[in-house]
Amino acid sequence: MAGLVPPGPTTVPAGESKKAEEKTDFMNLPCPIPFEELHREALMSLKPEAFEGLRFDFTKGLNQKFSLSHSVYMGPTEIPSQSAETIKIPTAHYEFGANFIDPNLMLIGRVLTDGRLNARVKWDLTDNLTVKANAQLSNEPHMSHGIVNFDYKGKDYRSQFQMGNAALFGASYIQSVTRHLSLGGEVFWAGQHRKSGIGYAARYETDKMVATGQVASTGVVALSYVQKVSEKVSLASDFMYNYITRDVTSSVGYDYILRQCRLRGKIDSNGCAAAYLEERLNMGLNFILSAEIDHRKKDYKFGFGLTVG
Amino acid sequence: MAAQTRRGGVSLPERRSASKLDSSILARISSSPIVSRGKQAAWDATFVSKKLLRSTGKAAWIAGTTFLILVVPLIIEMDREQQFNELELQQASLLGAPPTASALK
Repeated sequence: MAGLVPPGPTTVPAGESKKAEEKTDFMNLPCPIPFEELHREALMSLKPEAFEGLRFDFTKGLNQKFSLSHSVYMGPTEIPSQSAETIKIPTAHYEFGANFIDPNLMLIGRVLTDGRLNARVKWDLTDNLTVKANAQLSNEPHMSHGIVNFDYKGKDYRSQFQMGNAALFGASYIQSVTRHLSLGGEVFWAGQHRKSGIGYAARYETDKMVATGQVASTGVVALSYVQKVSEKVSLASDFMYNYITRDVTSSVGYDYILRQCRLRGKIDSNGCAAAYLEERLNMGLNFILSAEIDHRKKDYKFGFGLTVG
Repeated sequence: MAAQTRRGGVSLPERRSASKLDSSILARISSSPIVSRGKQAAWDATFVSKKLLRSTGKAAWIAGTTFLILVVPLIIEMDREQQFNELELQQASLLGAPPTASALK
């Protein structure tokens, strides 16, 4: 009884703590997830990285912070063709990579035998400011590009500024509005193609479900909904509509995370069914199977692989 | 052999005259509307049933391969998970060693 504090936005009498949980505390909202990861739960279920051929990845840690990775890939690769049929050419490459991971600094580099180099840097300057850079160099002319991002994380908002080669500038901002809802927007300007765009996004998240929506002036309207049915199973569905090219795609998928394996499957309105299975054979040894069937184009892709470390 | 329309006697002319009669009967029967309707209906029925068989075959193929890709790994993995759970339960009961549990097993 003594020391009864008048109720304010941040102090609550002990007997009414349950009610206060329902009443949102607008001064203490959680930090939202970054703008580019808005659809991350839906993408995890609905866009498994299906590949065709054999894939073998070996990661060896030399130190607590430093590790090397070797990767072999053999299989057909699709090349874009003007005609309706897909043209596949058998390719094979070996990729060598080095990773340095520190609490504040992360450096990742990959070099491939077909002459491509891929480098990523993530540097946490302070608790709130992060610099990220991503570069891809290639032998072919005009196919190299790089991007630098500056991220600032506030108490309940995140903002990002990005610059890329070919005079690409972009900025995005996302803010938590209530405990479950966060709204954001982005603008970009591509100098070389003389294009600019603006987009808005919203994300509503509870313990059991995540619903996101995104509209952009490039004509894309994307909605997605992920429901966590139990701790092992989640179902996702996605709807994408381009109001400039009048293109509609919808897909439904599931994600089962069991103790020995992780199985993802999806089916599309373009007549495409895909499945991706990662099975844990042993400690640090994963076996991967991937299948993708496109009934409309009659294109069938199956791949298998092994990941060590 | 010779086209003789002489009545009586020789079978050939009779046959000829008979075949002429027959052909007229047959021709009349086969050009009657009932027979031609029936033929058309039979042809239509085979056409439709061929198309139906083909589209059922296509649908069965699409449904079968999609089921194979999406559902069969799921069934296999869920079965393995269940087996793993049962094995763990069995091992836990063995280690805990209540005699009734092992008797039940």
